[in-house]
Amino acid sequence: MIDLALAPGLRTALAELLLTMADDEFVSGFTDSEWTGIAPLLEEDVAISSISQDELGHARALYQLLATVLADGRDEDALAYDREPDAFRHARLLDHPRGDWADTIARRFLYELADEARLASIGDGYPPLTELVGKLRREERYHRMHLVAWIERLAHGGTEPRERLVAALAAVGPDAATVFTPLADEPSLLEARILTRPLAAAEAAWRADLTGILVPLGLPVPPAVTPTTDGRTGHSDSFRWLWGEFTSVRRSEAGATW
Amino acid sequence: MTDPLALDPVLPVRQRSERPWNDDLPHDERYAHFEAHVTAGGKIEATDWMPDEYRTAVLRFVEMHANSELMGVLPEREWIMRAPTLRRKLALTAKVQDEVGHAQLLYRVAEDLGKPRDAMLDDLIAGKTKFHNVFHYPTKSWGDVGIIAWLVDAAAIVAQQALRDSSYAPYARTMQKICWEESVHIMHGRDVVVTLMTGTDSQRALVQEALDRWWGPLMQMHGPRGDRAKDRDLHWRIKAKTSEELRQEFLTIYVPRLLELGLVIPDPKLALDDETKTWTYTEPDWDELRSVVTGHGPKSQERLEFRRLNREDTRWVRDSILTPAPAAAA
Repeated sequence: MIDLALAPGLRTALAELLLTMADDEFVSGFTDSEWTGIAPLLEEDVAISSISQDELGHARALYQLLATVLADGRDEDALAYDREPDAFRHARLLDHPRGDWADTIARRFLYELADEARLASIGDGYPPLTELVGKLRREERYHRMHLVAWIERLAHGGTEPRERLVAALAAVGPDAATVFTPLADEPSLLEARILTRPLAAAEAAWRADLTGILVPLGLPVPPAVTPTTDGRTGHSDSFRWLWGEFTSVRRSEAGATW
Repeated sequence: MTDPLALDPVLPVRQRSERPWNDDLPHDERYAHFEAHVTAGGKIEATDWMPDEYRTAVLRFVEMHANSELMGVLPEREWIMRAPTLRRKLALTAKVQDEVGHAQLLYRVAEDLGKPRDAMLDDLIAGKTKFHNVFHYPTKSWGDVGIIAWLVDAAAIVAQQALRDSSYAPYARTMQKICWEESVHIMHGRDVVVTLMTGTDSQRALVQEALDRWWGPLMQMHGPRGDRAKDRDLHWRIKAKTSEELRQEFLTIYVPRLLELGLVIPDPKLALDDETKTWTYTEPDWDELRSVVTGHGPKSQERLEFRRLNREDTRWVRDSILTPAPAAAA
């Protein structure tokens, strides 16, 4: 179904925003699901599997919305699976592999708060997205609580957990702000009130949020880096491995129904 | 971890005192009261007195069930990453998550019988305790995902439905929840199989090839025929049906469904006797079953080693949050 209310230029800008949001949730959900069955505690195993399913559910809803915006005949699965690795637009932060539990918590914590700042920047310019974002934010609240609790536990958990957490934050920190990589046509999205603030402003809000949590715990805040335009392109080998895995069954019989 | 709620008596004091085996009687008298209660269909709670023989038998039974849920996640989790659509990915993640949740519930039931979770995981990894034969085999294709979720879970649920009436009440209650979730897994598995069987020739071939490999282990899964009178688990009503009763029930329900989809069951001797309404079949390979469940299956050692390494890799996390902070309490 083509949404006639969107002018062509705006459609392209909206599609880029949706693709970046969907790919972020998709890759994050995949990486989290690598813990299903092998998390440090049975109780946490169940929790991270739920978070993974939430993120994949969000990705699915965003790809569905993107499918209606693009209206080129591709459904959510074709959008999610039938692309080459270079066509993915998730942030470089999410290119980092699962790693150990501290790596996972550091990456997920930085992403969760970044996603929250991004969702808080979505306006009422495109009602289907506004409505969807309302649903997403209700679930993301619980992810935030869970991840902040883990950051605090590891920070106060003794020498080894703290050292691992500090090392993990140092490893992913420089890539954390790539979630806010400027979109090609942000001015159109702002003018149409699909975005209420530039992503650079969302990044500033995110930094303030992070600082309020990390500084009292004596943990390093990710360094401020010059905004780059390549924060969502040129993916890592670990993502190429992930891509090879998640497309393997589907590629074995192109065009089949699964 | 001990759940504070688990320490509260499940039975109100008055009700507990109405059960004569809880009284301070000579052992044989207590035992007689207990046995009469259980064999008449009565239930036992965690806070009841129970003979060591009963406690040990329930613990062994529940522990193996918990181990099976925990080891059962390994063959399927390999396919979470490869699920070919978002819907399948979500369904498979949810299914494996359920199995982990079942392991957690069952280890808690077992913990209340006196064996700490860590000790159970140590024994599992050391090969001292067992898990179901079907989780010692490799998975090779997406066809396995359908066959496992449909038929392995179906064979399991035939046994588990009978456990909802177990004499050990905490186990029976846990089985209510588990059976409900397993029935959803079966629907997911059947949907995967039906989709493949209505797809391309090579998709149909995937299912048939998987069925050919899984049929032997499925027929062995409930164990060899035994003597009802000698089975202590039946005597104590921990379980309700014999191995052969469960196997017959599984065949009665699932053989027609497999044939309906155009699948060929790889046993030329499989037939229903119209008079006795029982199935005859090629004798399952009981030597294979014994060998597999004692740790000599094709994937037994690899999966146990994977669990051992994973447990070592994540130990620091458990140590950091399960160990009380020093000094702060004083």
